[in-house]
Amino acid sequence: MVTFNFVLTPEAAARIHDILVCLAKFSDSVSIEARRDKLVFTALNSSNSAYASFSLDGKKFFSQYECLPSNGGTEGRFTCGIYSKALLSVFKGRLDDARGKDTAIDRCEVSVQDRPDQTECRFVIKMVCKQGVTKTYKLTYESVEVMHALFDQNSAKNRWSIQSSLLKEYIEYFGPKTEQLDIYAEEGRAVFTSYTEKIMNGKEILKHPLHTAVAVNTSDFEEFNAQEKIHIIISVKDFKAIVIHADTLKTSLKAFYSQPNRPLQFSYTSAGMYCEFTLMTAGDYTEAPTPSGAPSIPGRANLRAQSAASERPESRNMRLEMPPPAVPASRASNRRLRKPGSAKRVISPKPAEADPDSLFVPADEEDHRWDPVDYRNSEETLGWDASGDSDAGIHPTFRDSGSLARTESEDSTDGLAPTQRISQIKGLW
Amino acid sequence: MRFKASIQNISTFTKLTASLNSLGPLAWVKLSENQACFTIIPEQGTQVWAYLRTQDTIFESYTIQSAADNIINLEVPLTSLTRALKSALQATSASIRLTKKDNIPLLALTIVTTSSGTSRGAFGTTTGTSNPDDAFGDEHEAGTGFDSAFGRDRETIVTQEVPVRVLSPETVSGLHEPRCREPDVHIMLPPLIQLKSISDRFTKLALVGAKSVGGSTVTAAVSSQRTRLEMAANMHGCLRLSIQSDAMNISSVWTGLSNPELDPSQVLGGEEGIREHPSTRMKELGSADGRSEEGWATVRIDGKDWGKVMSVGRLGGKVIACFCHEHALILYVYLPNDNGMDESVLTYYVSSYSA
Repeated sequence: MVTFNFVLTPEAAARIHDILVCLAKFSDSVSIEARRDKLVFTALNSSNSAYASFSLDGKKFFSQYECLPSNGGTEGRFTCGIYSKALLSVFKGRLDDARGKDTAIDRCEVSVQDRPDQTECRFVIKMVCKQGVTKTYKLTYESVEVMHALFDQNSAKNRWSIQSSLLKEYIEYFGPKTEQLDIYAEEGRAVFTSYTEKIMNGKEILKHPLHTAVAVNTSDFEEFNAQEKIHIIISVKDFKAIVIHADTLKTSLKAFYSQPNRPLQFSYTSAGMYCEFTLMTAGDYTEAPTPSGAPSIPGRANLRAQSAASERPESRNMRLEMPPPAVPASRASNRRLRKPGSAKRVISPKPAEADPDSLFVPADEEDHRWDPVDYRNSEETLGWDASGDSDAGIHPTFRDSGSLARTESEDSTDGLAPTQRISQIKGLW
Repeated sequence: MRFKASIQNISTFTKLTASLNSLGPLAWVKLSENQACFTIIPEQGTQVWAYLRTQDTIFESYTIQSAADNIINLEVPLTSLTRALKSALQATSASIRLTKKDNIPLLALTIVTTSSGTSRGAFGTTTGTSNPDDAFGDEHEAGTGFDSAFGRDRETIVTQEVPVRVLSPETVSGLHEPRCREPDVHIMLPPLIQLKSISDRFTKLALVGAKSVGGSTVTAAVSSQRTRLEMAANMHGCLRLSIQSDAMNISSVWTGLSNPELDPSQVLGGEEGIREHPSTRMKELGSADGRSEEGWATVRIDGKDWGKVMSVGRLGGKVIACFCHEHALILYVYLPNDNGMDESVLTYYVSSYSA
């Protein structure tokens, strides 16, 4: 039996939302690890090459926090895994938005119902809204062994730190469909290059995504202490996810790494939050990578199952064979429910909100009205407002095609057709 | 083969490529000493031929060299080019050049920007001292940091590489600008934002009309539905946009537009040519209030295609429309420039449907 509950202010609930958006870009499921003094959200991607962790301080982050694990003293913990999308749909955006008066919450109470005498184990989230409305969500969870990436900061001699807002500017230059990010330093400049490694020929070449290099003076960094002329390659998608989240906290981001093909760590802190990302890198010391040279999928990060149970032999193997060869992804499936082929869908449901100072916004807003109208998903479709007619949604509507189509099954903005066909009238007689 | 230019007017160039991109993903770009021609020839729909003067408008210090009469033909993916140009909108300088990497030809944009990110370090210490007496001493100490935060050191260089395909002169030799008979009516269009919002609305109406007739509504079917708009103009400053279906007949009429005078030097046969010109005869028909049924030159266009054409409105140039009755509509979009001579022009060829 475990006692685990906490209370969040609206601001903290919004922070949780940002964390979940970020985690959802790494994995379909979020692992939660609660200890006496802190709560940790983690995610590990399907190829075990990227690990994200958000550690929330029990006293600073929460307005109330209590965790009494059933076993173990100070080292005891409660762990569970929840489907990211389910959790995200509870912590929707704008929780702390003063403008949305009806949806604004007063506080958020979370508790875990995990008792042998109850039939259901649930993760219970209560959104106590203003005006006396309380929304209660009960989510199912599975018990998991939380995996943590090990990272030896002492051996990571290369380090730099920079304002997240600057990095946010840089990632906006990157092409939308690029895959790799190469970090390289030379002659007082750090170069962030986003590109895609694909061998194409003929006309296909024109579909190749943009190759973007952003060269920054190392003096723009708060600290820059890294070896020059080494290429460190990570995934652009991971990097973007991290930078976008770091920018919501307006903090500075630190990077630690040793050499290519060894893990790299990004970290940043903000009031009661410690965020840490461990990413596997590729790359080399020599010149720019040849199109076929570097592996397109980074190797697996160094992982260890830090569960209360004894360390499993497989994970020990993993630590030895570093950098390890590709291991079947099924290894990871014992601790997570994942649909095959879902890796592509881990796109944030709420696109990152554009920075008001963002590079592209002013031009886009002004320019947008000139774009051709996309009639396929237009909200402003002409139709009858059938809201006053309660019958319309219930009775099937006749159509000329002869099929019975319920209007409610259609897009609600379609409404009813403005004219009644003669064939229908005949049918009614 | 060499091509290099600095981009003087990034915003216009970006808007131009964005407008062209709405008609098709690939452009044939013909670069020569005096002009850069951007051409979009989609499989279906409107063609654009855009001629840009290399001396003014967009480029500066434009240099080109090639074995084939200093002409370079390229096939350029417009989405990537537009995206790359967008990252230059806030740039202090930008240049474009043709280069090669791993045997792949590229258009490389080099963009120099100054970061607008929040300042730090030195700035914090100077503003942090509220005591004005100490400010001088502090500033002096933090001087180097201050420079690095706001001086040239803060420059960021962005390189965007757009893969392109070099086309041989033979490949493009078969491509010609469409020829068309002399137009019956030529007229200056009203502000395109007006025209676009009304035509978009009409197109929506056409789609809704088609839906209610078609029965089961499938969004995929929308793309194949016909959205015919009828556009007509007379030589008395009237433009009429209308939509007709079984259930409705709606039209919008603009009056008081101008019909530019023909320049005898530009018309075949000079003064005589103008007397014989179809538009001269059209002048005798119709009226300035647009109520007369005579004197209209009419074309039937596709509403969705027209919406893509109207995307050019973002450039803010003046537009002259030439109507060839029941045949074609040609739009000349003039890029705004200062000297008024030899303007850069985009020509849109919109064909008229028979029904």
